[in-house]
Amino acid sequence: MDNLVFAGMDGIIILSVFAIVMLVIGYYSGKGDTNLHHSLSGYYLAGKNLGFIALFFTLYATQYSGNTIVGYAPTGYRTGFSWLQSISFMTIIIGIYLLFAPRLYVVSKRRNFVTPTDWLEFRFKSKAVTLLSIFLMLWGLGNYLLEQLVAIGQAVAGMTGGTIPYEIAVVVFVLVMLAYEWMGGMKAVAFTDVMQGIVLMIGIFVFLAGALYLVGGNFAEVTRFIADNEPAKLGVPEMEVSVNWFSMLVLVGLGASIYPHAVQRIYSAESERTLKKSFARMAWMPPITTGLVFVVGIIGIMLFPGLDTAGSEQLVGLMANKIAAINGFYYWMMIIFFGGIVAAIISTADSVLLSFSSMLSNDVYGKFVNPGATEYKKVMVGKIGGIIAIFFLLIIAWNPPGTLYQIFVLKFELLVQVFPAFVLGLYWKRLAAKPVFWGMLIGAIVAGLLTLTGYKTVFGIHGGVIGLTINFVVCIVGSMLVTVSAEKSLKKDELAVLELEA
Amino acid sequence: MKTKSVKEPIRKKWIWIVLFINVVLIVPWYFPKGAVEPFVFGFPLWAFISTFFTLILGAYLSWLCISQWNIVEDEEENAKRKEDVKHG
Repeated sequence: MDNLVFAGMDGIIILSVFAIVMLVIGYYSGKGDTNLHHSLSGYYLAGKNLGFIALFFTLYATQYSGNTIVGYAPTGYRTGFSWLQSISFMTIIIGIYLLFAPRLYVVSKRRNFVTPTDWLEFRFKSKAVTLLSIFLMLWGLGNYLLEQLVAIGQAVAGMTGGTIPYEIAVVVFVLVMLAYEWMGGMKAVAFTDVMQGIVLMIGIFVFLAGALYLVGGNFAEVTRFIADNEPAKLGVPEMEVSVNWFSMLVLVGLGASIYPHAVQRIYSAESERTLKKSFARMAWMPPITTGLVFVVGIIGIMLFPGLDTAGSEQLVGLMANKIAAINGFYYWMMIIFFGGIVAAIISTADSVLLSFSSMLSNDVYGKFVNPGATEYKKVMVGKIGGIIAIFFLLIIAWNPPGTLYQIFVLKFELLVQVFPAFVLGLYWKRLAAKPVFWGMLIGAIVAGLLTLTGYKTVFGIHGGVIGLTINFVVCIVGSMLVTVSAEKSLKKDELAVLELEA
Repeated sequence: MKTKSVKEPIRKKWIWIVLFINVVLIVPWYFPKGAVEPFVFGFPLWAFISTFFTLILGAYLSWLCISQWNIVEDEEENAKRKEDVKHG
């Protein structure tokens, strides 16, 4: 988006306003709460006391990033109507939550879990399972964070017409994020998410309105144009595309619901009522988020026909330029919208970073390095570790990879391998540690190798899904053969934690 | 409060059967390849039907969250009410 000429100085003003608001929110969420920095669940889970509005928006802002717009509109542009899948795969996530969140919420409250690893450690009592899952989750989170860092720089540089260069943009916004997160932990993250989420939602609506205005307000006109010029983007997709669609539903549904920062939002809920109300609202968000972005991508086919892959990646910037030229209202709305995209990226990055830090605090340091440390010290280790990780990732981010969507799929491949242990373990008492470990390891290796050797999909099925299938088979068959089950490894009172009627 | 009935989605088979059927209907594998006409609201028929079932999925999941999930809610809300009375 380096050809965004409409913003410049005005963009810098809006971005500065956003940054200041975030800092103020961060300051006030940490102010007066002396307990915050002395308790793992206080800092990382907002004291397990998030109300409906904060919980809903933090779920929203975590699941929908700036990439959802900047990356998905071009994908819709390139693939056409089969990108409708982006609505369904964001919706199915709620269905997968229903598989495990109700019980996990109860268990997490009973045992005061802080990280996803706490659950796996409690259930399997196996260092091997704990370590492998920590590795897979940190790897997934790290990659996710990297993607957000790349995106921040591109969005800001685009918005300010290159007035703020890519590197400086990233550093400034990372510093803002680190500052408010340092002050308020999860509370700051969730409260800034409210502001960031609202700006993004409004921005998408205005953007779509502007895009529709440009094509004369008639969407049917757009499809007629596509039918005449690029009918392949309109027709019923090939069978392989349908298979790939199914595969995406599995990969994104299982992967996104099991993300460590997603799981920690289940832990953070103030009550079951708050949690289920938030999920019930979240189920309606895909049509008005990825759905509208899809329509934007389709309109792009008519507004800017014939862009190649690299050219289409600039689609949102190109459209914003045109929309901003309509009149003064749209001009300012587009600047705010681009600020909103940056804010949305930050709001996703902050959740991921917080989760990353919590795993350093609670899992790596708290379980393996220094279990006897005070919670204050553990929190401190996580905070500082997170900062070090960010600057390490920044070095990698200076050489951003090609298209955003590619990395999006890559990060799920390994992370999703934690799913069988995580969810089967809740309900099936026979599920044993050894098969879980081998399933996870083999699944991760298969998924990783397939992806690295260029077989990201086989007959439309993602490497991650193939690895996951093998993973499930190893877990289930292995557990039937092994005699050490949860009945033996868990004490009676621990088993009772898993029972709801107890 | 012993009269509570625990509602947990995982225990109800019909939830998952309906969900599965819904998902199968979202993916357009069952349309003849390449078909475009007729258009409905500017969407080719297959895309319109797929979107329709996607919206049904959202509505269904939203409804499930509210009505088929109740494990500790009554306990928590009662405890909260007592707490409010104490401080109120």
